[in-house]
Amino acid sequence: MRLSAAEAYEKYADRVFAAAFSVCRDRADADDVTQDTFMRYLARGQDYRDEEHLKAWLLRVAVNRARDLTRAFWRRDRASWEDAMAELPFEEPADRGLFAAVMGLPERYRVVIHLFYYEDYSVRRLAALLGLREGTVKSRLSRGRALLKNILMEDWNDDE
Amino acid sequence: MTNEARYKRAFSTLHASGNLMEVKTMNDTRKRVIPRLVAVCAAAALVLAMAGVAYAADVGGIQRTVQLWFYGDQTNAVLDIRGDEYTLVYTDSTGEVHERGGGGIVIGPDGSERPMTEEEFLEQLDQPEVEYSEDGPVAVWWRGRKLDITDRFEDSVCYVQLKDGGDTLYMTVKYNDSYATSPHSYPDPDTFSGG
Repeated sequence: MRLSAAEAYEKYADRVFAAAFSVCRDRADADDVTQDTFMRYLARGQDYRDEEHLKAWLLRVAVNRARDLTRAFWRRDRASWEDAMAELPFEEPADRGLFAAVMGLPERYRVVIHLFYYEDYSVRRLAALLGLREGTVKSRLSRGRALLKNILMEDWNDDE
Repeated sequence: MTNEARYKRAFSTLHASGNLMEVKTMNDTRKRVIPRLVAVCAAAALVLAMAGVAYAADVGGIQRTVQLWFYGDQTNAVLDIRGDEYTLVYTDSTGEVHERGGGGIVIGPDGSERPMTEEEFLEQLDQPEVEYSEDGPVAVWWRGRKLDITDRFEDSVCYVQLKDGGDTLYMTVKYNDSYATSPHSYPDPDTFSGG
Protein backbone atom coordinates (compact mmCIF):
# COMPACT_ATOMS: atom_id res chain seq x y z
CA MET A 1 0.00 0.00 0.00
CA ARG A 2 0.97 3.58 -0.38
CA LEU A 3 -0.74 6.78 0.64
CA SER A 4 -0.59 9.82 -1.55
CA ALA A 5 1.82 12.45 -0.31
CA ALA A 6 -1.11 14.63 0.68
CA GLU A 7 -2.72 11.83 2.69
CA ALA A 8 0.54 10.85 4.37
CA TYR A 9 1.35 14.45 5.27
CA GLU A 10 -2.15 15.10 6.57
CA LYS A 11 -2.07 12.02 8.77
CA TYR A 12 1.51 11.95 9.98
CA ALA A 13 3.19 15.36 9.69
CA ASP A 14 2.40 16.31 13.28
CA ARG A 15 3.55 12.93 14.57
CA VAL A 16 6.78 13.18 12.61
CA PHE A 17 7.27 16.71 13.92
CA ALA A 18 6.64 15.64 17.52
CA ALA A 19 9.09 12.74 17.22
CA ALA A 20 11.71 15.04 15.74
CA PHE A 21 11.09 17.64 18.44
CA SER A 22 11.51 14.99 21.12
CA VAL A 23 15.03 14.47 19.80
CA CYS A 24 16.25 17.93 18.83
CA ARG A 25 14.08 20.09 21.11
CA ASP A 26 14.07 22.89 18.57
CA ARG A 27 11.04 23.96 16.55
CA ALA A 28 12.94 25.09 13.46
CA ASP A 29 15.04 21.93 13.42
CA ALA A 30 11.97 19.75 13.89
CA ASP A 31 10.29 21.52 10.97
CA ASP A 32 13.38 20.95 8.85
CA VAL A 33 13.40 17.28 9.78
CA THR A 34 9.68 16.96 8.98
CA GLN A 35 10.15 18.46 5.55
CA ASP A 36 13.16 16.29 4.87
CA THR A 37 11.29 13.18 5.97
CA PHE A 38 8.37 13.81 3.63
CA MET A 39 10.64 14.76 0.78
CA ARG A 40 12.21 11.34 1.20
CA TYR A 41 8.76 9.79 1.23
CA LEU A 42 7.97 11.52 -2.04
CA ALA A 43 11.26 10.48 -3.58
CA ARG A 44 11.15 6.89 -2.33
CA GLY A 45 8.09 5.84 -4.28
CA GLN A 46 7.89 2.38 -2.76
CA ASP A 47 4.96 0.44 -1.37
CA TYR A 48 4.60 -0.42 2.29
CA ARG A 49 3.21 -3.59 3.84
CA ASP A 50 0.51 -1.65 5.61
CA GLU A 51 -0.07 1.74 7.16
CA GLU A 52 1.74 0.77 10.34
CA HIS A 53 4.81 -0.02 8.29
CA LEU A 54 4.55 3.36 6.59
CA LYS A 55 4.21 5.17 9.91
CA ALA A 56 7.19 3.30 11.37
CA TRP A 57 9.28 4.21 8.34
CA LEU A 58 8.41 7.90 8.68
CA LEU A 59 9.18 7.93 12.41
CA ARG A 60 12.46 6.08 11.96
CA VAL A 61 13.62 8.51 9.28
CA ALA A 62 12.56 11.46 11.43
CA VAL A 63 14.34 10.21 14.56
CA ASN A 64 17.52 9.40 12.64
CA ARG A 65 17.49 12.74 10.86
CA ALA A 66 16.91 14.60 14.09
CA ARG A 67 19.76 12.72 15.73
CA ASP A 68 22.06 13.48 12.85
CA LEU A 69 21.16 17.11 13.22
CA THR A 70 21.71 17.31 16.96
CA ARG A 71 25.04 15.51 16.76
CA ALA A 72 26.46 17.63 14.01
CA PHE A 73 29.52 19.38 15.34
CA TRP A 74 28.55 22.76 13.99
CA ARG A 75 25.26 22.84 15.85
CA ARG A 76 25.44 25.54 18.42
CA ASP A 77 23.68 28.58 19.76
CA ARG A 78 20.22 27.24 19.09
CA ALA A 79 17.12 28.61 20.75
CA SER A 80 16.53 26.83 24.03
CA TRP A 81 13.71 24.36 24.35
CA GLU A 82 12.42 26.42 27.26
CA ASP A 83 11.89 29.34 24.87
CA ALA A 84 10.12 27.06 22.40
CA MET A 85 7.95 25.65 25.16
CA ALA A 86 6.95 29.12 26.35
CA GLU A 87 5.15 29.68 23.05
CA LEU A 88 3.21 26.42 23.08
CA PRO A 89 -0.49 26.56 23.96
CA PHE A 90 -0.97 23.80 26.52
CA GLU A 91 -4.47 22.61 27.29
CA GLU A 92 -3.85 22.27 31.03
CA PRO A 93 -1.20 23.90 33.27
CA ALA A 94 0.05 20.46 34.33
CA ASP A 95 0.82 19.65 30.70
CA ARG A 96 3.57 22.23 30.71
CA GLY A 97 5.23 20.52 33.65
CA LEU A 98 5.10 17.13 31.97
CA PHE A 99 6.42 18.57 28.73
CA ALA A 100 9.29 20.27 30.55
CA ALA A 101 10.12 17.12 32.50
CA VAL A 102 10.35 15.07 29.32
CA MET A 103 12.42 17.69 27.55
CA GLY A 104 14.80 17.71 30.48
CA LEU A 105 15.55 14.01 30.12
CA PRO A 106 18.67 12.85 28.28
CA GLU A 107 17.94 12.12 24.62
CA ARG A 108 18.23 8.37 24.92
CA TYR A 109 15.33 8.37 27.40
CA ARG A 110 13.27 11.07 25.69
CA VAL A 111 12.90 9.23 22.42
CA VAL A 112 11.90 5.94 24.00
CA ILE A 113 9.45 7.64 26.36
CA HIS A 114 7.92 9.66 23.53
CA LEU A 115 7.42 6.75 21.15
CA PHE A 116 6.06 4.57 23.94
CA TYR A 117 3.54 7.01 25.38
CA TYR A 118 2.67 9.08 22.33
CA GLU A 119 2.85 6.51 19.56
CA ASP A 120 1.81 3.47 21.63
CA TYR A 121 4.85 1.48 20.54
CA SER A 122 5.56 -1.74 22.42
CA VAL A 123 9.06 -2.52 23.65
CA ARG A 124 9.52 -5.00 20.82
CA ARG A 125 8.43 -2.56 18.14
CA LEU A 126 10.48 0.22 19.70
CA ALA A 127 13.53 -2.01 19.60
CA ALA A 128 12.96 -2.71 15.92
CA LEU A 129 12.31 0.93 15.09
CA LEU A 130 15.33 2.28 16.96
CA GLY A 131 17.70 -0.58 16.16
CA LEU A 132 18.19 -1.40 19.85
CA ARG A 133 18.00 -4.61 21.86
CA GLU A 134 14.73 -5.09 23.72
CA GLY A 135 16.64 -5.12 26.98
CA THR A 136 18.10 -1.73 26.20
CA VAL A 137 14.67 -0.32 25.39
CA LYS A 138 13.27 -1.71 28.64
CA SER A 139 16.15 -0.25 30.58
CA ARG A 140 15.75 3.18 29.01
CA LEU A 141 12.00 3.11 29.48
CA SER A 142 12.35 2.15 33.11
CA ARG A 143 15.02 4.77 33.78
CA GLY A 144 13.05 7.44 31.94
CA ARG A 145 9.92 6.66 33.92
CA ALA A 146 11.83 6.78 37.18
CA LEU A 147 13.27 10.17 36.29
CA LEU A 148 9.82 11.49 35.37
CA LYS A 149 8.35 10.16 38.59
CA ASN A 150 11.12 11.83 40.53
CA ILE A 151 10.35 15.18 38.89
CA LEU A 152 6.57 15.02 38.58
CA MET A 153 5.79 13.18 41.80
CA GLU A 154 2.02 12.72 42.08
CA ASP A 155 1.51 13.94 38.52
CA TRP A 156 3.09 10.78 37.16
CA ASN A 157 1.77 7.32 38.00
CA ASP A 158 3.90 4.29 38.73
CA ASP A 159 3.32 2.10 35.73
CA GLU A 160 5.23 -0.69 34.09
CA MET B 1 -5.85 9.86 34.31
CA THR B 2 -3.24 7.54 32.87
CA ASN B 3 0.31 8.58 32.07
CA GLU B 4 -0.40 7.80 28.43
CA ALA B 5 -3.41 10.13 28.32
CA ARG B 6 -1.51 12.90 30.10
CA TYR B 7 1.42 12.51 27.76
CA LYS B 8 -0.75 12.61 24.65
CA ARG B 9 -2.58 15.69 25.84
CA ALA B 10 0.66 17.51 26.63
CA PHE B 11 2.40 16.68 23.38
CA SER B 12 -0.62 17.17 21.14
CA THR B 13 0.31 20.85 21.26
CA LEU B 14 3.14 20.16 18.82
CA HIS B 15 2.26 20.79 15.19
CA ALA B 16 4.42 20.99 12.09
CA SER B 17 4.70 24.53 10.78
CA GLY B 18 5.26 23.74 7.12
CA ASN B 19 2.94 22.28 4.54
CA LEU B 20 3.08 19.69 1.83
CA MET B 21 3.40 22.29 -0.91
CA GLU B 22 6.71 23.41 0.55
CA VAL B 23 7.92 19.83 0.57
CA LYS B 24 6.83 19.26 -3.02
CA THR B 25 8.41 22.46 -4.17
CA MET B 26 11.68 21.52 -2.56
CA ASN B 27 11.50 18.03 -3.96
CA ASP B 28 10.73 19.25 -7.46
CA THR B 29 13.53 21.74 -7.52
CA ARG B 30 15.93 19.39 -5.73
CA LYS B 31 17.07 22.18 -3.48
CA ARG B 32 18.26 21.60 0.02
CA VAL B 33 15.26 20.85 2.16
CA ILE B 34 17.22 21.56 5.24
CA PRO B 35 19.24 24.66 4.62
CA ARG B 36 20.41 24.69 8.20
CA LEU B 37 21.17 20.97 8.13
CA VAL B 38 24.66 21.70 7.06
CA ALA B 39 26.29 18.68 8.54
CA VAL B 40 23.54 16.23 8.90
CA CYS B 41 25.65 13.20 8.77
CA ALA B 42 28.47 11.92 10.41
CA ALA B 43 28.15 11.54 14.04
CA ALA B 44 28.89 7.87 14.00
CA ALA B 45 31.01 7.67 10.95
CA LEU B 46 34.63 8.45 10.40
CA VAL B 47 35.95 8.44 6.92
CA LEU B 48 39.56 7.44 6.73
CA ALA B 49 40.25 7.13 3.09
CA MET B 50 38.53 7.37 -0.20
CA ALA B 51 38.91 4.41 -2.46
CA GLY B 52 38.61 6.21 -5.73
CA VAL B 53 35.86 7.17 -8.08
CA ALA B 54 33.48 4.34 -8.83
CA TYR B 55 31.24 5.53 -11.60
CA ALA B 56 29.07 8.39 -12.75
CA ALA B 57 25.44 8.17 -11.82
CA ASP B 58 22.42 8.91 -13.99
CA VAL B 59 21.69 12.58 -13.46
CA GLY B 60 25.12 13.93 -13.19
CA GLY B 61 25.77 12.73 -9.67
CA ILE B 62 28.88 10.82 -8.76
CA GLN B 63 29.20 7.87 -6.44
CA ARG B 64 32.35 6.96 -4.58
CA THR B 65 33.19 4.12 -2.28
CA VAL B 66 34.64 5.29 1.02
CA GLN B 67 35.86 3.50 4.08
CA LEU B 68 34.53 4.58 7.43
CA TRP B 69 34.57 3.61 11.06
CA PHE B 70 31.32 2.82 12.78
CA TYR B 71 31.91 2.46 16.52
CA GLY B 72 35.13 0.61 15.94
CA ASP B 73 34.04 -1.46 12.94
CA GLN B 74 35.55 -0.50 9.65
CA THR B 75 33.16 -0.79 6.76
CA ASN B 76 32.65 0.44 3.23
CA ALA B 77 30.07 3.03 2.38
CA VAL B 78 28.77 4.56 -0.81
CA LEU B 79 28.95 8.32 -1.00
CA ASP B 80 26.49 9.77 -3.51
CA ILE B 81 27.29 13.30 -4.60
CA ARG B 82 24.63 15.35 -6.34
CA GLY B 83 25.50 18.96 -6.69
CA ASP B 84 26.03 20.27 -3.18
CA GLU B 85 24.13 17.40 -1.56
CA TYR B 86 25.74 14.26 -0.24
CA THR B 87 24.25 10.95 0.81
CA LEU B 88 26.23 8.25 2.58
CA VAL B 89 24.86 4.69 2.67
CA TYR B 90 26.54 2.01 4.74
CA THR B 91 25.78 -1.29 6.46
CA ASP B 92 26.76 -1.84 10.07
CA SER B 93 27.98 -5.09 11.64
CA THR B 94 24.40 -6.22 12.33
CA GLY B 95 23.45 -5.85 8.69
CA GLU B 96 21.34 -2.77 9.23
CA VAL B 97 21.56 -0.24 6.44
CA HIS B 98 22.10 3.38 7.47
CA GLU B 99 21.71 6.42 5.31
CA ARG B 100 23.10 9.82 6.17
CA GLY B 101 22.60 13.01 4.25
CA GLY B 102 24.55 16.21 4.28
CA GLY B 103 25.77 19.15 2.36
CA GLY B 104 24.17 22.52 2.21
CA ILE B 105 25.78 25.78 3.02
CA VAL B 106 28.78 27.00 4.93
CA ILE B 107 28.39 30.25 6.82
CA GLY B 108 31.54 32.30 6.97
CA PRO B 109 32.68 34.56 9.80
CA ASP B 110 31.28 37.55 7.93
CA GLY B 111 27.89 35.89 7.52
CA SER B 112 28.40 35.07 3.86
CA GLU B 113 27.09 31.74 2.59
CA ARG B 114 28.44 29.31 0.02
CA PRO B 115 27.79 25.68 -0.93
CA MET B 116 29.70 23.11 1.09
CA THR B 117 32.42 21.34 -0.85
CA GLU B 118 32.85 17.58 -0.99
CA GLU B 119 36.11 17.95 0.92
CA GLU B 120 34.37 19.81 3.72
CA PHE B 121 31.67 17.18 3.85
CA LEU B 122 34.25 14.44 4.20
CA GLU B 123 36.02 16.43 6.89
CA GLN B 124 32.79 16.41 8.86
CA LEU B 125 32.74 12.64 8.73
CA ASP B 126 36.13 12.59 10.37
CA GLN B 127 34.68 13.92 13.60
CA PRO B 128 34.80 11.93 16.84
CA GLU B 129 31.71 10.37 18.36
CA VAL B 130 30.77 10.44 22.03
CA GLU B 131 29.16 7.27 23.35
CA TYR B 132 27.13 7.25 26.57
CA SER B 133 26.65 3.74 27.97
CA GLU B 134 23.62 2.69 29.96
CA ASP B 135 25.58 2.04 33.14
CA GLY B 136 27.48 5.32 33.15
CA PRO B 137 30.73 5.08 31.17
CA VAL B 138 31.38 7.74 28.56
CA ALA B 139 33.76 7.12 25.69
CA VAL B 140 35.06 8.94 22.64
CA TRP B 141 35.43 7.03 19.37
CA TRP B 142 37.80 8.39 16.80
CA ARG B 143 39.25 6.61 13.82
CA GLY B 144 38.42 3.19 15.14
CA ARG B 145 39.83 3.76 18.60
CA LYS B 146 37.99 4.21 21.85
CA LEU B 147 38.98 6.45 24.75
CA ASP B 148 37.22 6.25 28.10
CA ILE B 149 36.56 9.78 29.39
CA THR B 150 34.17 8.89 32.21
CA ASP B 151 36.37 10.23 34.96
CA ARG B 152 37.63 13.26 33.11
CA PHE B 153 34.59 15.47 33.58
CA GLU B 154 34.76 18.46 35.86
CA ASP B 155 31.59 20.52 36.21
CA SER B 156 30.14 18.42 33.37
CA VAL B 157 32.87 19.50 30.95
CA CYS B 158 35.73 17.36 29.68
CA TYR B 159 38.72 18.34 27.55
CA VAL B 160 40.26 15.66 25.36
CA GLN B 161 43.27 15.83 23.08
CA LEU B 162 43.11 13.25 20.30
CA LYS B 163 46.15 12.31 18.25
CA ASP B 164 46.47 10.11 15.20
CA GLY B 165 49.76 10.28 13.36
CA GLY B 166 50.30 13.92 12.58
CA ASP B 167 46.69 14.86 13.21
CA THR B 168 45.70 16.45 16.51
CA LEU B 169 42.19 17.30 17.53
CA TYR B 170 41.23 19.33 20.60
CA MET B 171 37.83 18.30 21.84
CA THR B 172 35.54 19.84 24.46
CA VAL B 173 32.71 17.60 25.63
CA LYS B 174 29.72 18.84 27.63
CA TYR B 175 28.18 15.91 29.46
CA ASN B 176 24.91 14.71 27.91
CA ASP B 177 24.79 17.82 25.79
CA SER B 178 27.15 18.28 22.88
CA TYR B 179 30.76 18.63 21.89
CA ALA B 180 32.95 20.74 19.65
CA THR B 181 36.38 20.20 18.15
CA SER B 182 39.20 22.25 16.75
CA PRO B 183 42.64 21.37 15.34
CA HIS B 184 44.11 24.37 17.16
CA SER B 185 42.74 24.72 20.69
CA TYR B 186 39.99 23.53 23.01
CA PRO B 187 36.67 25.14 22.07
CA ASP B 188 35.15 27.26 24.81
CA PRO B 189 32.23 25.28 26.30
CA ASP B 190 30.25 28.52 26.61
CA THR B 191 30.24 28.95 22.84
CA PHE B 192 28.30 25.83 21.90
CA SER B 193 25.30 23.89 23.08
CA GLY B 194 23.23 20.88 22.11
CA GLY B 195 20.12 23.00 22.41
